[in-house]
Amino acid sequence: MPVRVFVVGMGAVTPAGCGVPALLETLQAGRRRLQPLTLFEANSKGAMPVGEVPGDWCGTVCRGPVSCDGEGEDLPGAPGGGGSIPRTHAMALAAAREALGGGEAPDAVVLGGTTGGMGLSEVLLRAGKEDPGLFRLHGTGTVADYVAQRVGCTGPAITVSTACSSGAVALKLAMEMIRSGRARRVLAGGADCLCRLTYFGFSMLQLIDPEGTRPLDRNRNGMTVAEGAGMLLLEGGLSDCGSPMAEGSSPVGGRGQAGSGGEPFAASDVPACALAELLGAGLSCDAHHPSAPHPEGAGALAAMSSALADAGLAAAQVDYINLHGTGTRDNDAAEARAIAALFGPGGPPLSSTKGAVGHSLAAAGAVEAVVSVLALRHGFLPPNVGLAERDPLFEVDPVRRARAAPVARVLSNSFGFGGNNASVVLGACGEHVVGPGCDKGGARATAAGSVDACGPLRVVASSCITGAGHADETLAALEAGRSVAGVLPEEVVTRELPARSLRRMKRLPRLTLALADAAIKAGGRPVSGVYLGTGWGPLSETWEFLDKLFGSNLEFSSPTDFVGSVHNAVAGQVAIWHKATGPNITATSGDVSFEQALLAAQLTMPCDGSASCLLAADEAHARLSPLFDPSATAGLADGGAGLVVTGGGKGPGIGLTRLARASDPASCAADLVEAAGGPERIATRFGAVFAGIPAARREQGKAILDRFLANSGFSGAVVDYRPILGEFASVCAVACAWAVNEVSNPSSRLASGKGIALLGLGESVSLLEVLP
Amino acid sequence: MENLEHELKVKIIETLDLSDLKPEDIDSEARLVGGEFGIDSIDVLELVIMVEQGYGVTIDSKEVGEKVFASVRALAGHIRANRAS
Repeated sequence: MPVRVFVVGMGAVTPAGCGVPALLETLQAGRRRLQPLTLFEANSKGAMPVGEVPGDWCGTVCRGPVSCDGEGEDLPGAPGGGGSIPRTHAMALAAAREALGGGEAPDAVVLGGTTGGMGLSEVLLRAGKEDPGLFRLHGTGTVADYVAQRVGCTGPAITVSTACSSGAVALKLAMEMIRSGRARRVLAGGADCLCRLTYFGFSMLQLIDPEGTRPLDRNRNGMTVAEGAGMLLLEGGLSDCGSPMAEGSSPVGGRGQAGSGGEPFAASDVPACALAELLGAGLSCDAHHPSAPHPEGAGALAAMSSALADAGLAAAQVDYINLHGTGTRDNDAAEARAIAALFGPGGPPLSSTKGAVGHSLAAAGAVEAVVSVLALRHGFLPPNVGLAERDPLFEVDPVRRARAAPVARVLSNSFGFGGNNASVVLGACGEHVVGPGCDKGGARATAAGSVDACGPLRVVASSCITGAGHADETLAALEAGRSVAGVLPEEVVTRELPARSLRRMKRLPRLTLALADAAIKAGGRPVSGVYLGTGWGPLSETWEFLDKLFGSNLEFSSPTDFVGSVHNAVAGQVAIWHKATGPNITATSGDVSFEQALLAAQLTMPCDGSASCLLAADEAHARLSPLFDPSATAGLADGGAGLVVTGGGKGPGIGLTRLARASDPASCAADLVEAAGGPERIATRFGAVFAGIPAARREQGKAILDRFLANSGFSGAVVDYRPILGEFASVCAVACAWAVNEVSNPSSRLASGKGIALLGLGESVSLLEVLP
Repeated sequence: MENLEHELKVKIIETLDLSDLKPEDIDSEARLVGGEFGIDSIDVLELVIMVEQGYGVTIDSKEVGEKVFASVRALAGHIRANRAS
């Protein structure tokens, strides 16, 4: 597909200050913006160096193009997250506004996040607050939702949570949305604020350098946790070597934009305001250890190689590498080995900019993409601040002082817990680059091409867990017309798993590993990618970590629980168990987390016939579920589902046809009928509609469903599945596994030989098709 | 001396949720990390916190940690040598 992707706007809120110019000045002057923690109290070990965003940025948010008065909200981002808008949300919005520059709203927002509203939630939890309304912006996905709402984006707001590679993974997904014709303009980036969970978590892991991080230094002794937000506005442009768009792509954006009339948008020429071109991106998973990188950097090497292949570049064409370079002993060593393997002796200039602005976790990949564009635009190499004596593992002496140099192509690395790796390649505008669609008449390189060209994903095998049991028990109960909602005892969840391997895992990883194990065993083939949707992540680990931390007056907590509390820890475990070294993406966005994981799979699964594991799960937590999930009021329920999927081949097909933020019921219903192909196609292709209406959105969701049925004249079976399957965020996955089972069964009364349409009718609306 | 070693074995089993083990299954001189019980770097950090909380002894570098956690006996020795009387 010869659509090229350009960076047309950028925003950055970093310890250098608010705005991209502040970041540029800090890099060019080689400043070190690290200082002892002041945002909240430290413990008896003293305040360690962190990268705090200086206090003047709040004004930038409130005095920006759109006022944040008028909604009765407190000023955002008070130190420690005391305001009612969490600090992460406010930083993300400030960077988003800078990137948009007052221009039209994007078609979609794709953000990376690890902590979401935790900076505020942890304060509320410590104070024993029990009003769920206070936690409405807790969810990691609420940052993207908040930004989308505030900048007027009606399309999907997607959130990936892959720890420290989140920002770069968001860029990959956004790029593939544009390449596949799902969107034209996408705001992509990442945001994380400093909070107790991460500051003390990394401290318990002994990964913080008390002197401030010294990346690549022979005596380096850890990282410096920081905060920030990085945003890039991406826009599709016409390649100079082919037709503008692939046909038959299924847009998931909002109304009245790319493809909503069933026709692909006409890509414009290279946007006049393009700052740089996003040439390619690559993903991989170490499948090695929950928190330590593969010692030889095997996953890092795979991500870099994949990114270069996606960009159609050879290693020798890279002019500068912006390293992940956290300053921990193991990370920098693994990255050095991967770079030596890829570039051989010599190699391009390189540096880590984390010595200047610290490690802003989910924001880092996006902030460093902004840094990469600055290097391209301003023709300079950013310095590796904090370095005294180079680690001889790096053959090339890192850039010590900013210096002018022609830079046309930059490789930027971001690696995270769970062995989640992402690399992106950015190029200067005007450089003639042979993109992946440009060789041999527009055929995409299979190594990097997405499966969209191969049609819908095919389901090879499935599994599910509900209150009634595993798949067999669940499907039997459903067949008998019984509700399966509930919380399955843990010993039943893990009955097929080896006990010793589970000792460090709590409920969510146990559920997920059981789902993956059952699906992969039934599929009978290895999986490469792992895609997981989870609305709330590992609640037990999060609760335990904070409970011990606050119970010890901030002195102690469990490093195991911290590593396990990261949303993508679970998918990382699945990868380790099943040696899945392909893309590994965790999507988290409340009730549409499964839909977003499916979208991620559609966008990034390699089109080589290999299989991936698509999962979604949530755990019921007696204390946190009722606080966080507004639909968890009718009694606790949890579970999830697992699917082994391939691009092409045989088996029932699944695909996400629509995902957008909910508007009024009439518009939503009309949009869904249109997305499903109109009344005639709906009657022909679907035997049943499975409607997922979250309890908290009952009235609105029911209104959309009624109008959908009236507008389409649909006369088949309609299943209102949440009261039957349980009220939990990722229950759509269970409905999907159920639908797959029905459409595979020729005598199914529900499917009657046709497909099943799954409608998600919550804060976002979605249409997921399951076809025989 | 043996009392401390036994006490440590009980705490190690509890801290690391090695619930299928009994204290007598752990040999005081056997390799603790990377040995037969699957104890890895995250477990070591968990034990660092157990030792700091239980005995007031701080182990704050990987180099020290590798020596200290070589075996239960080495750990007991380190605690005795560094514990505030």
